[in-house]
Parts: sequence; structure tokens; C-alpha cells
Amino acid sequence: MPLLKRSINVHFFTKIICALILVVILLLLPFIIRDPYWIHIFISAGINAILAMGFVMLHSTGLVTLGAAAFWATGAYASTMLVIKAGLSVWISILLGGIITAIIATGIGAVTVRLSKVAFVFLTIVVGAIVVLIVGRIDYFGGWGGIVRIPRPNPITLPVITIDFSTKAQYYYFILVILILNIVVFYALYNSRIGRTWRAIKLNLRLAKTLGINSFRYSLLAFVVAAIFASFAGSFYAHYMHTIEPDTFGFHKSVYIQVYGILGGMEYYIMGPVVGAIIMTILPEILRVTKEIEPIITGAILVIVVILLPGGFLSLPQIVRASTSVLKDNMLLTLLRNKVSSKERVDHGDTGS
Amino acid sequence: MVINGLALGLIYVLVASGLILVLGIARVFNFAHGEFYMFGAFTVYYVMAGAHLNFIIGLIAALIVGALLGAIGYKAVFHYMRGDLLRCAAASIGIGLILKQVALLLFGSSNYGIARFFEGMIEIGGIRLSEGKLLVILLALLVVTGLYYLLFKTKTGKAMRAVSLDAKTASLLGINTVYIYLITLIMGSGLAALAGGIVAPLFMISTEIGSVMLLMVFTVLIIGGIESLPGAVVAGIILGQLQSFGYHFFTGDAELFFYCCVGIFLIFRPGGIFGAIVKEIY
Repeated sequence: MPLLKRSINVHFFTKIICALILVVILLLLPFIIRDPYWIHIFISAGINAILAMGFVMLHSTGLVTLGAAAFWATGAYASTMLVIKAGLSVWISILLGGIITAIIATGIGAVTVRLSKVAFVFLTIVVGAIVVLIVGRIDYFGGWGGIVRIPRPNPITLPVITIDFSTKAQYYYFILVILILNIVVFYALYNSRIGRTWRAIKLNLRLAKTLGINSFRYSLLAFVVAAIFASFAGSFYAHYMHTIEPDTFGFHKSVYIQVYGILGGMEYYIMGPVVGAIIMTILPEILRVTKEIEPIITGAILVIVVILLPGGFLSLPQIVRASTSVLKDNMLLTLLRNKVSSKERVDHGDTGS
Repeated sequence: MVINGLALGLIYVLVASGLILVLGIARVFNFAHGEFYMFGAFTVYYVMAGAHLNFIIGLIAALIVGALLGAIGYKAVFHYMRGDLLRCAAASIGIGLILKQVALLLFGSSNYGIARFFEGMIEIGGIRLSEGKLLVILLALLVVTGLYYLLFKTKTGKAMRAVSLDAKTASLLGINTVYIYLITLIMGSGLAALAGGIVAPLFMISTEIGSVMLLMVFTVLIIGGIESLPGAVVAGIILGQLQSFGYHFFTGDAELFFYCCVGIFLIFRPGGIFGAIVKEIY
């Protein structure tokens, strides 16, 4: 468990300071990179990061979902419908969209989470397909053509400036706020009794149940929490893009969410999916200069990373540290072999690494 | 229409049994399976339309292409992540991306069809049947029978089933598991490519058919049970009929109705048609 090990090793305040520096850098990003196109990429990366975090949260209870995009879709559509058909304020409808999604997710989760892990994977695929088909088939939801002209969020008036969501940078700050909120909530959950219970369930389901844990309720909680944040990301997406269509929320998106999680590292519950999503969103854009062979390079990098870094991107420092320490040990051992007796060599082997 | 459904269903059976082999024995969740299928279809297309050769030669070429892709995939990628389903899934997505783009570069994004190849009709008892569809059914039945023979009557098949039950024990008993995994991937990918090859003369093919097929095959797996070959056969045939009739009666809403049915079915029978009710229940 790298997370456990890290939280013992790294001092809490150092962590906080690192996080603060990171936040400051992220806050200043629109001033450094002024190209709206790149800000758009960063916004997509933020959305993907939120979705991937939900995937990893569910995985921390031992469940794998391939329908993660379904709740992204319900959030986007619920919020859009409330704004367009009911005429509510965007802010209220984003919250209401979260609540609606939570209700739907509780209903679906109550049925699906009970089943075995394999059946859960397939049921989530089916749920994802059904959601897309429902919004696609029923004309009330806009049909396959989707909904266009979704209004932007109402302006917020602050003492100094008015945020009216006319530029991409303002949306960037909006998604950043959602992302940080998401990270804080997930961090709190992972470090509470709930998070420890999730890990226990994943580690050994039978033992956890023997200890009196209601595994169904805890897994359902992870399912619903992940769905709520996916819904917020979806509402944001709808009001940011001003247009949504069912095909965006299809099976391929769920698959990509899974890739973000795995590439970042499934054992790094928060930073893993965030890093994975950011890299996998930005990488294809950087590689776009190579034109047609871009997906080939992306795919190749994906395969190579999965082969070489079993624990994801974030396990890179650990692997480097481990290999260097092995190297160091080997060098020391060869030095020692020439000088000292075999007894001391054994002692060194025990204390080393 | 029954024949149409049967032909479609048997194609699903072929691709799905390939995926079941790969998933059940080598423990690789292969998202690139659909692309193998697509490559098989294009191989036959080029052998027949480009080189003007026999359909059978095309099928053999497709089989070889699929087997090669599978073997390379295993040796280069999946070998390094044996047993880790999630990593295999991610890697296979990467492979799928690569293959799809390669196909796009090679073949372009337009539709291809080996037009008017099997247009002949046969009359049996007053019912006119398409020659091509009958050929598909015959070939598919032949391949499935061959697969069964291989799995249940030969020594390799026995070893494969043993590995599928318990890889560790199997390797303790002297079965070369790596070899079995390799064989399995070759067979699975070969089956997918073969199915693609069989389809090529009948339907339009494009680089998109792989992704479409993958989703359908997942559905077959859902209904049939994830590790059950007979389940896949039954489920594939049912699915083909459902599609054939569903599009006739429901037209547009068929898919929605269909997925709802699958979802409800799965809730009550999580193990599929023949699958045992899975013990590990929350």
C-alpha cells in the first residue's frame, strides 16, 4: 500500500505546503498560457480528472466500472433540462442535477452493487448504453442531434470583479474550484473510517464481512459519491460547451476514464487519476503535430507505460528510488566483498535498502 | 429473416468465443478484439478484390493475420502483465488505438464492399435463401465444431481448460502456461479475424466495424456468461435473432428495448444462461 507508506513518511505540513504551491501554480496558469485553445485542453483535463477520480474511488472498494460516463451524462442532461425547460438558474440546476444523479445512482447502485464483481462490470456497460440510448431516442432530451445553445452560468458579482463566464479562463477557474472541492472531499473520505473500510473490503471481502462491515452499504456509498461528482463535471461540461450530444457520453468515454485511472496509478487514490487524466489529455494534443500517426504514438506510449510502470505514472519515483538503492547496494556489496568477511556482508544485506 | 439472424448470430458466436478463450484462459480483457475482427475483414477484402483470389485463400490469410496479431500482442505486451486484468485492459486499449489508426491510414475511412459476390439464391422447399448467408452459417458451424473438438478432445485443449481452472496448479503439474497463453491468444485472435473474413463478402466493411462488434460481443458475453462457451453459442444465436426480428418490429427502439432486457436479465442471472450463480455476493 503505497498510500499508507507515504502518509507515514511524508510529514503532513510538507504535504499541505506542496499542495498549496501546486494550487498557486494552477491558479496562475491562465496568465502564463494565454492561448484559449490550451486553456480548453486544461479544462478538459480537469473534467477527465474528476471522472477518473470517481473510477478510482469505486476501484478502491474492489469494483470496476465501465459505465462511468453514464452519470456524467445524467448530470449534464439533468442540469441542461432544468435550465432550458424549467427556467431555473444554472447554479441551482447544477446542484439539483447532482441530487437527481445521486437518486438515480442510488437506485442503480442498490441493484448492481449487490452482484458479483464481473456482473457489476457488465451491468455498468449496460447502464451506460441505456442512458445514451434514452437521451438519444427520446426527442424531449434533444435526440441524437443533442441540445444546442445551453446558457452559460449566471454572472457572479464580487466586490472587485464580475465573473460573467465570457472567457475560457473564467471557466478554467470554475472547473478548478470543482476539482479542488472534489479532491478535498475524496481526501477526507479516504482518510476517514469510510476509506479504511473500503480498503478492507477490497483487500478481503469475506474477512471484512466477518468483522461486521456492511460491505454493500459502503460500496454503494462509493458508487453514489463518485456519481455525484461525475454529475457536477457533466453539468459543468454542458454549460461550458453550450452543446451536448449523446455520443459524447458513450462507451468509449468510459473506457478512456478507465485508462486515465490505470495510467496514473490505481493505488494513488487522488493524485493518480489526476495525473493520469492530465497526461493523457495533454499528450495527444502535444503529439498533434505528428498529424495522422498521433493515435499510434499515443497508443504506443500507453502500452509502454503499462508494461514498464505497473503502478502507473506516480510509481516512477518509487521505482527509480528502488533501482538506485539496489544499484547502491550492489556497488557497496562488491566493494565489501573484497574487504570484509562473509559475516559482515550478511549484516549489511539485512540493513540495506 | 431467421436465416439472416442465424448468420449474424453465428458471427457473434465466433468473435465471442475468441474473446471468451482469451478472457477465460489467458485472463486478458482484450479491447482490441474488435480491431482483430476488422483486420480479418480487410484481409479477405484485399485478397479477393485486390488479388482476385479464392474466398478460401482469403479466409486462410485472415486467419494467419489474426494469429500473427495475437501472437505479437501476447509476446510484446500481455506477457508482461499476466493475471492483471486492469493493466491488460489498458494495454489492449492502446493496441486497439494503434491498430485502428493503422487501418485508417491503410484503408481510409470509406466503406468497402466486395459487391455482388454471393448473390445467388438457392430454393429449398419453396423458400428462397441467399447463398452467401448459407455459406456463412455453414462455415461458422464448421469453425465452432472445430473449436469444440480442439478444446474437448485434444491434449492442448485439456491443458487450456486446466489453465483456465487454476493456472498455478496447472503449471505445477507440468503444463507450460506461457505456451498455453500464447496458443490461446493466437486462437482467440484468429477466430476474430476469421469471423471478420467470413463477414467481408456479405456486408459493407469499414474501419468502424471493430468497435461496433466489440460492444455486441460484450453483450453476448453478458447473456451467455463470461466463461461459458455453450452460453456464448446460445446467446450469440439468440442475439442474432433478436436483432433480425427486433429491427423489423420495433425499428428504432429495438436497441433500447434490447439493452433494458439485457440489464434485467443480468440482475436476475448474473452468471449468464449457463453460468452458475456467482457465489461472491454482496
